[in-house]
Amino acid sequence: MLKLHNLSKVYRTDEVETVALNSVNVEIETGEFVAIMGPSGCGKSTLLNIIGMLDSPSSGNYFFMDEDVAGYSEAKLGNIRKQHIGFIFQSFNLIDELTVAENIELALLYHNIPASERRDRVARVMDKVGIAHRAKHMPSQLSGGQQQRVAVARAVVGDQAMILADEPTGNLDSAHGQEVMEMLQALNEEGTTIVMVTHSPAHADYARRTINLFDGHVVTENLRAAV
Amino acid sequence: MFQNYLSVAFRNLIKNKLYSAINIIGLAVGLMSCVLIMLFVRDEFSYDKFWKNADSIYRLHTTFAVPGREPFVTVVAQGPAKEALQRFFPNEIEATTRMNGMSPVVRRDDKTFQETIYWTDPETADMFDFDLIAGDMHQALADNSSIALSESMAEKYFGTDNAIGEVLTLTFYSITRDYRVAAVYRDLPHNTVIDLPAMVRIDEKDFEEQSWEFAQWFSVNSVLFYELKPGVNIDLVRNRLDDFANANIEIPSQLGRDIKASDFIKYSTLALPEIQLHPAGGGEMKPTGDIKKVQIFIAIAGLILLIACINFMNLATAKSIQRAREVALRKVLGARRSQLIVQFLGESVLLALIGLVLGLVLVEATLPAFSEMLGKELAFNYADGMTGLILLGLVIAVGVMGGIYPALVLSGFLPARVLKANKSAETGGSAILRNVLVVTQFTISIALIIGTAVVYGQMFYATSMDPGFNKDNLLVVRGTSRSGASDKQEALREEILRLPGVTSVAYSGDRPASGNENNTSVTVPGSENTESVLLGVQTVDYDFFSTYQIQFLAGRNYNRDFATDGRPSAEGAKPGEILNGTIILNESALGRLGFGTPQEALGKAVRLGVGGEPGARIQADLQVIGVVPDTHFQSLRRMVRPEMYMMDTDNHNNLSVRFSGDPARLVSAIEGVWKSMITNVPFSYEFVDEAMAEEFTQEQALAKLLTGFSVLAVAIACLGLYGLASYTAARRTKEIGIRKVLGASVLDIVRLLIWQFSKPVLLANIIAWPIAVWGMMSWLETFPYRLDTWVLGPLCIGAGVVALLIAWVTVGGNAAKVARSNPIKALRYE
Ligand SMILES: Nc1ncnc2c1ncn2[C@@H]1O[C@H](COP(=O)(O)OP(=O)(O)O)[C@@H](O)[C@H]1O
Ligand SMILES: [Mg+2]
Repeated sequence: MLKLHNLSKVYRTDEVETVALNSVNVEIETGEFVAIMGPSGCGKSTLLNIIGMLDSPSSGNYFFMDEDVAGYSEAKLGNIRKQHIGFIFQSFNLIDELTVAENIELALLYHNIPASERRDRVARVMDKVGIAHRAKHMPSQLSGGQQQRVAVARAVVGDQAMILADEPTGNLDSAHGQEVMEMLQALNEEGTTIVMVTHSPAHADYARRTINLFDGHVVTENLRAAV
Repeated sequence: MFQNYLSVAFRNLIKNKLYSAINIIGLAVGLMSCVLIMLFVRDEFSYDKFWKNADSIYRLHTTFAVPGREPFVTVVAQGPAKEALQRFFPNEIEATTRMNGMSPVVRRDDKTFQETIYWTDPETADMFDFDLIAGDMHQALADNSSIALSESMAEKYFGTDNAIGEVLTLTFYSITRDYRVAAVYRDLPHNTVIDLPAMVRIDEKDFEEQSWEFAQWFSVNSVLFYELKPGVNIDLVRNRLDDFANANIEIPSQLGRDIKASDFIKYSTLALPEIQLHPAGGGEMKPTGDIKKVQIFIAIAGLILLIACINFMNLATAKSIQRAREVALRKVLGARRSQLIVQFLGESVLLALIGLVLGLVLVEATLPAFSEMLGKELAFNYADGMTGLILLGLVIAVGVMGGIYPALVLSGFLPARVLKANKSAETGGSAILRNVLVVTQFTISIALIIGTAVVYGQMFYATSMDPGFNKDNLLVVRGTSRSGASDKQEALREEILRLPGVTSVAYSGDRPASGNENNTSVTVPGSENTESVLLGVQTVDYDFFSTYQIQFLAGRNYNRDFATDGRPSAEGAKPGEILNGTIILNESALGRLGFGTPQEALGKAVRLGVGGEPGARIQADLQVIGVVPDTHFQSLRRMVRPEMYMMDTDNHNNLSVRFSGDPARLVSAIEGVWKSMITNVPFSYEFVDEAMAEEFTQEQALAKLLTGFSVLAVAIACLGLYGLASYTAARRTKEIGIRKVLGASVLDIVRLLIWQFSKPVLLANIIAWPIAVWGMMSWLETFPYRLDTWVLGPLCIGAGVVALLIAWVTVGGNAAKVARSNPIKALRYE
């Protein structure tokens, strides 16, 4: 699916230079479920943002589906992104002024999909994540777990091949967190590639592989024995 | 405590530079407009209040209400009305005086000018308190060879020397006489309707041949002021003006029996200080104002201030959300709600005060240009305590108005909710209020744009309307029948015709757009209807129609080969005799006379008096030889009247010159010819197209001012929109980030933001259109020839598009900036 080669990211502010990622080499196969772990500030989110093409690396190569996208323009990256990648955030990031269904539909809005088909697909994923009865509600009327389910639905409604989740359970209690993990697992079993940042070893266990980051370096990669 | 508020207030101002700047500038511009307009309004209301007798001086107005014609409404009166008024109201009226402006040629050594000088009665010196510089006003008006000069007139002829005792030679009609300067008075201030550059005493004997000036009851040429006796109520005069007319004016018997003078001649009266703002008809000494115009400007001032206040409120409420935390913390620390309200109101008033200071700077900067545009000398007097107080009150009111809503909303925030949830504390209410305010601003702006467009449209329509003749490449040399020029008319005509570039010349009594009224009553000989019909008269010569390029509908032009063409001379005719002649009519006259079609009218005749004494009249039957279309020769501002074009060599006061090529060179060539032949009448001319456009100078000034103020209104509204857009963009960064992550392009985002701001503007259009259309239609009513109503449609749409484009440009830059920013920044922290 993707391959990072000697990839580095340096943030330059007025005075400080922060090396968020330092010569990272990572390869992720199609259909994999990968967890990224590490202490706060070690560069997990930066890594995920670069994989998700929300940010560009300072140096190194990023091969996405065998294309080196490291030097692509923002517009070009945006096009690849909306085709292939879905996002789930710790803080859900739903739009407060839109209903559940509209929030999900948003992911299809920029894809040139006719309205009727959009409605069908939104209805289907809402069924799948079990929030169909909440379609007309506003995000503020939902619990955190329900909101994150909406976010998951939004991430997959466009048939994205890969989902990037940045601490998707960070704001949830354990029961709701588990629910979300099971949903991700189910998606993975259907063939979706999943890359997830988490602090919870238990949740990392859902993944087949864990990448440990420390201070911008990949320290270990643990492959969980396939059961 | 107060210190803390003040330092927080100032820090807030500096921290939110954009917000502060927009608010201060918007308010300053609003205040500037308001102050400028109020200076104008105050000035308009100050007219003629300064005279010592202002409260007891009134003016008599005459309206001729001729059946079947638009009434001829004037603010002047007949010459004999002075004596008659005094006689009819012996217990009510203290004194009366006439002021009749004429344009004599004035000579002093080698200086020759045509001047406007007023012939007036000696009572003027008692009724009006002139600011005398030298001499004696009563002496100046004591005999028919003294003159009183205004300071600027004295300076023109005598420089800084003492003018008293010096001599000016005046030529008017056939009289040339020396006048000794007996008084010099300070120029009248601009805020009076009275315009007296110089005065001489009326000696009616001087005008025996020009009986219309002072002796006729059917001619109005003098402004007539009268002074009430102390304690007399004006109604005692006003209610008996019909009786006054009936007691003094005899109606010619041919108009019918049982007809009273008051059926035809209506008098009305206005107090001197009322005159400026209550237009009452033609014949003013100088252009006056109009209470309606003043009201319009007061409304505009109010609206602009409203827009500025709306900005203030809008931005303040928008901003308030970002200060929710500060408020919550203060509350947690024990601040009471009232203290918070005081704090926020205080900040708002501080901002408004800074706006006032900047606004005053702007007033100083723009006042000269504004004064010039209005033709006034306006000054802003800081020492005047009243003005200062009003302004301060205004600013505090604005500050309080701008601060009260955010103050109440902010202080009402629940600290727990704000601090814990850390959510946007905005209530739905304030968002709606903001939208309402934006819609209001744009409604006002759009209505002003439409108003401006309609005023320009009407002006363009009126000045480019086909007047029925070719007004381009045509100029008029004036004063050709003045003594000293009249005997050289034929030679002058030939000389000018010989100049290169001159294609045709013609003499006429009147000139285009003069607005003069000259009517004669005629009867139709041989018809059973013996009632007379009043027709307008234009005196022309053989070449008039070819020079003005007026085509005939039927018949022929006057011809030099036909000795009987035109108005026959009464010389040598016996009393009671009926002479023969010919006449050309316009189309409207056919309708009045019942002459049918132009073809049918040919050969019919009208009868009118050409001389003789009452009871022994000499009349003439004029056979219709030609019919021409109606033209707007008299004025573009009035309905076309039924008219006769009479061929008559008397009173050919204007020479029209049709030319091709460079007008400037031609004018100097004509001037050369004039000066070589005529020494005692100054050369004066005008281009016909310019003279016709000049009829609309009032509207032109109105259009300019409206343009200025609508630009200001739109600018202030846009400042507000810009501030609001940047605020909204900031508030929506999270949403925009999400959309971008989900694949929205920069263009998608820009479109989203622009649409958000297009909605209120579109709604504003829907509200503004009917209001503007209604307002402008009633304005257009005042013009007999006006834009078609359907034109308002495209103008409305145009104004809407302009407003929308302006709004887009305003928010577009900001939207693009926001749309380009990286979404992860927005999404990283909640
Ligand atoms: N936009 C940025 N500008 C400057 N420094 C940044 C920026 N984003 C992240 N960093 C820094 O890069 C490092 C890695 O951050 P991040 O990837 O967010 O860590 P994690 O998600 O692992 O907690 C941190 O030291 C952080 O302060
Ligand atoms: Mg992180």
